[in-house]
Amino acid sequence: MLPVSAVCGGIYRATIRTLRTRNIPLNRRLSSGGRVLAGLADADTIFALSSGHGRCGVAVVRISGSAAATALRCMVGLGNQLPPPRTALLRSITDPHSKEVLDRGLVLWFPAPHSFTGEDSVEFHIHGGPAVITAVLQALGSVPGMRPADAGEFTRRAFHAGKLDLTEVEGLGDLIHAETEAQRRQALRQMSGELGRLYQNWSHRLKRTLAHVEAFIDFSEDELIEEGVLDQVDISVCDLQTEIEQHLKDERRGERLRSGVHVVIAGATNAGKSSLLNKLCQRPAAIVSPIAGTTRDVVESALDIGGFPVLLSDTAGLRDSPDLVEQEGVRRARERVQQADLTLLVVDSTILPSEEQEAAALLLEHLRSVLSSQDQSGAGRCLLVLNKTDLLPEAQREKLNLGLRRVSGLPPVCLISCQTNEGLKDFLTVLQSSVKTMCGDPLSGAPTLTQARHRAHLQHCVAALAQYRRYRNSDLALAAEGVRLALTSLGRITGRVGAEEILDIIFKDFCIGK
Amino acid sequence: MFGQLVLPLYALYNGCWKTQVLFCCLTNKKPLAPFLLVVQETSLLLFEDVGLYNCASDCSHFDRCMSHMLTKKLPPVHSVLLLVSRRASQLSRQRYDVIVVGGGHAGTEAAAAAARVGAETLLVTQKIQTIGALSCNPSLGGVGKGHLVREVDALDGLCGRAGDWAGINFSVLNRSKGPAVWGLRAQLDRQRYREFIQAELLSTPRLKVLEGSVEELLVSDPNPAEPGRHRVTGIRLANGSQPISASSVVLTTGTFLSGSLFVGRTSSPGGRIGDAPSSSGLTQTLRDQLGLRVGRLRTGTPPRLLKDSVDLSLAKLHPPDRQPTPFSFMNTQTRCKPEEQLPCYLTYTTPGVERVVRESLHLNCHIQQDAKGPRYCPSIESRVLRFPGRSHQVWLEPEGLTSDLLYPQGLSMTMPPDVQLRLIREIPPLHRAEIHTPGYGVQYDYVCPTQLSPALQVKNTQGLFLAGQINGTTGYEEAAAQGLWAGVNAARRALSQPPAALSRTESYIGVLVDDLVSRGVTEPYRMFTSRAEFRTSLRPDNADLRLTMKGFELGCVSAVRHHEAVRVRCSLQNAIAALQALTMSSTSWRKKLPGISMSENKNQTLSGMDLLEYKDVSFEMLASVFPECLSPYMEFSQRLKIEAVYKPHNDQNRSEIKRIQSEENMSLPQDIDYFTLPVSLSQEVREILDRFRPTTLGAATRLQGMTPAAIANLFNYVHFTRRRESRRKQADHEEERGEEPCRRNASLPQ
Repeated sequence: MLPVSAVCGGIYRATIRTLRTRNIPLNRRLSSGGRVLAGLADADTIFALSSGHGRCGVAVVRISGSAAATALRCMVGLGNQLPPPRTALLRSITDPHSKEVLDRGLVLWFPAPHSFTGEDSVEFHIHGGPAVITAVLQALGSVPGMRPADAGEFTRRAFHAGKLDLTEVEGLGDLIHAETEAQRRQALRQMSGELGRLYQNWSHRLKRTLAHVEAFIDFSEDELIEEGVLDQVDISVCDLQTEIEQHLKDERRGERLRSGVHVVIAGATNAGKSSLLNKLCQRPAAIVSPIAGTTRDVVESALDIGGFPVLLSDTAGLRDSPDLVEQEGVRRARERVQQADLTLLVVDSTILPSEEQEAAALLLEHLRSVLSSQDQSGAGRCLLVLNKTDLLPEAQREKLNLGLRRVSGLPPVCLISCQTNEGLKDFLTVLQSSVKTMCGDPLSGAPTLTQARHRAHLQHCVAALAQYRRYRNSDLALAAEGVRLALTSLGRITGRVGAEEILDIIFKDFCIGK
Repeated sequence: MFGQLVLPLYALYNGCWKTQVLFCCLTNKKPLAPFLLVVQETSLLLFEDVGLYNCASDCSHFDRCMSHMLTKKLPPVHSVLLLVSRRASQLSRQRYDVIVVGGGHAGTEAAAAAARVGAETLLVTQKIQTIGALSCNPSLGGVGKGHLVREVDALDGLCGRAGDWAGINFSVLNRSKGPAVWGLRAQLDRQRYREFIQAELLSTPRLKVLEGSVEELLVSDPNPAEPGRHRVTGIRLANGSQPISASSVVLTTGTFLSGSLFVGRTSSPGGRIGDAPSSSGLTQTLRDQLGLRVGRLRTGTPPRLLKDSVDLSLAKLHPPDRQPTPFSFMNTQTRCKPEEQLPCYLTYTTPGVERVVRESLHLNCHIQQDAKGPRYCPSIESRVLRFPGRSHQVWLEPEGLTSDLLYPQGLSMTMPPDVQLRLIREIPPLHRAEIHTPGYGVQYDYVCPTQLSPALQVKNTQGLFLAGQINGTTGYEEAAAQGLWAGVNAARRALSQPPAALSRTESYIGVLVDDLVSRGVTEPYRMFTSRAEFRTSLRPDNADLRLTMKGFELGCVSAVRHHEAVRVRCSLQNAIAALQALTMSSTSWRKKLPGISMSENKNQTLSGMDLLEYKDVSFEMLASVFPECLSPYMEFSQRLKIEAVYKPHNDQNRSEIKRIQSEENMSLPQDIDYFTLPVSLSQEVREILDRFRPTTLGAATRLQGMTPAAIANLFNYVHFTRRRESRRKQADHEEERGEEPCRRNASLPQ
């Protein structure tokens, strides 16, 4: 069901590069037009190692293009016969020139158009040792009309052959990049076209709606149009607007799951921020010292927390400093906090007053100063981490723990000690559940938005629908224009747009397929 | 025959040309076959089957005579023929720049436009009397169609001014739906319309009119420097006379190409009742010799009713606009005074109508045929069959100020005449109506328009242009627009100028032409506003700003009109600048203009232009507050209001327009073999591309069945081929300068 892989293995890039400089001029002489550009070069047959990096049991080499059959014949020794389509055969794979046996493996033949790229395709499943792979790739490179594939070229050919729409291509790209379990589920769901179908459905309804408005404009002076057709339009525009707004109100869950939740550790100097980072990473990612202002730049680390991707940043402690470098560090820290999906505000618990009301007041003020410019919802995207509890007396710890929970307006509070690991487990549970809420369950409910590009187009779509409602009673031409714009915006998501724009999207918004 | 002429005959002697100019007013009631009188030094010759002649040098005389004749109010003038004879050698002039075949809406616009551009033009028509005849409905314009009339007028075409001259009932449709979709429409006086078009053609320099039937097109080998497999070199007339040669030929044969007329179970060859069928030679040339693909379409027209026999008191009176809106940018008023306008009447079909249709189906040949009819102007048969059990609108429209006929719009029918009478009498106001001429259907061949270039030239035949119903369209306005465009391009070709291009982003004519040549038709094509992507920019009010300057550059717009358009553009720009310079806080505006509903909570600075966007603010209101800077622009008050409302949207549209224009500028070579093109395209897409052969990438994107991926690939192909070519040119250039191109770079993979 899934393509084996569309990855051109990075580790063998070096091999490919050597092949390329040696073989391409030859190929160019051989191929009729001497075409050199990937977009044009679809006359060429491409090949690449399509399976993962490193030593492995089985490696898959994929070939796509008109010369795939030739390559299959001359390397597998089938004479003029081609194997039955889409059936695995165990064969010796030989060098086309020296006839030396390179490996023994499975060969599969996918005649066009029933292949991933829509072209004639061949797959060799060979042993995964680097020497075997290099030998097979070199042998393929010596077949006339063949050249190594560019990054993402298989997917691109599949897209160009109309096998995938843009959301599916994006989904495929995500699937290949998926590192956590939840990401994989989301990408698979998108690639199966579910998101595309949701947008198609809206697009279809919008088309109908637009058709009604247009009909009313062009024909209502004849009798072909029934009364009340515009009332119908009003209802469906309203419905669509609500549905798309609902879809947009997912708090960027899908995007977060795709690109990782941005969690920023912030707080005053020497509160133990870098220690927390190191604890979470389970390695000494940041330098820790008793000197205030040790961390001056942003230190980032990618984590998998309960299947969800998290990008954790440690920042410089917030204080006024005469040091220019530290000032810049503080500026960056504040910037990060503003962009964060979740802020972990680390506070040295030893500086808190013993009275819980006073402590709460101090924490609230601290919160305000750190999250200063964030909107009201900012408090909901923050966790208070009281560090160094090992230095507190047991009674004080209990008092804070229970007392602060009762104070309204405070974000969840976790008491931890990076020194003794006390409270870390509970903290991780709280963190994981926050991250999970932010990403949502990729398999339940309607498919979620996964790309900022989709969000922008959907927002345009909603704004355009608002234009319809604004002009509904004063100027129907401008109102209809709103519906037209809405439809164009939706079309941009699935790729039904003008040529140049499609290309812009393909080559700017994402690196297609890989 | 000669003796039947009753002549007030004005003869003038033109010394320079040694010719006699004769004006003949035919007061004879019987229509006469047109003829040519040649008065030579001593003898008088009569040539039949030759037509209206006029030439540039006679123009001043002609104008004088014409005005003299019109002011004299000669007794019942049926038709005015201007016969100019020349010396024998001049008479048999057998070479023109442009020959236009057909005298309908497309043909007259084509001939006039070609002559305006500067080509020596000959219009060949079967019957001079029917030049400018309205074969079907006596009306012009409508939603979408009115836009076309405005654009034809902005390019100095005839139909807008003719409409203003002949209109007897003006109304703006869609008045409540926004100025971008207003539909200017008028009922016409058939007589006056024909009169205007004929007089206009006669006074057009470089244009001659000849009566005759075209037997065949003269085709020869192509000019190897241009694409195409054939070249048209002229025409041969049916009477076996000498061939007439021309650089360009425009065919506007309407429904006459293999046309057949249907009434009841009988059918006869012809394109319009009362006219001879055209020769089959023309069809043969197009189909067999040039190998053009043709399809078949049908249309129809309702019976004409005697006004006196209709009980109009049973129908609903539908008065025209109190103040007529002229079609033409050159007119501020119409010939018909507001109070002289005639009303239309509205009535409805009854179940009896449906019954008669069903009972007579077996007698109705036309409706049983499978040629595609117009979905948007259906016959009463197809209306009741498609939407049974409903009552349908029937408009009773005047045919002219003095005409004793009524035109029942919506009752086009093809059943036998006695059944037609039974049918119409089922409608209450028509219960004792008498039919003057029965309705009939027409089936005709059209040439699949995807075989044309955007200049409306047949791609495989150099110099052959097609316009009007022959391209599968329906409607006067669509025909006029194509005629004008084909005429301009035919003339430009004859004068060795490059073809003119009109984008779909700037005009409905561009939309029409692009739709036809890049998508083709499956049913008679009619213009709608929904076909235009940039409807809010392509408004009827600004057609002059969009097209007149461009038309002037193309040579089809007179200096007078150009001057007027420049004046209008200037005034509008100044007025907008003045409005934008008027900036005040919203509080101050509220004080100045009490009573306008402006949101109270926002205090912002607004310009006069912003304010004019408000629904209840008019330019007059602003001008009354700031008379010193705004009163000079009062004549443009409506246009300024419209500009203010649409400006923000048009600014938004600009980037999209640019994108489309750049795609339209990316031409696809016409000799591409799509089946072997080394680009990844599915077989299906290759077939579509091969069938339609789009001329630009923009046209390809609008083809049905094209995938975004295929477009992306084609874009790559065009883009990179172009870049490679420019690189190659650059390399050649460097070589010429004796510099060795860098070999290492050339051999590196890119």
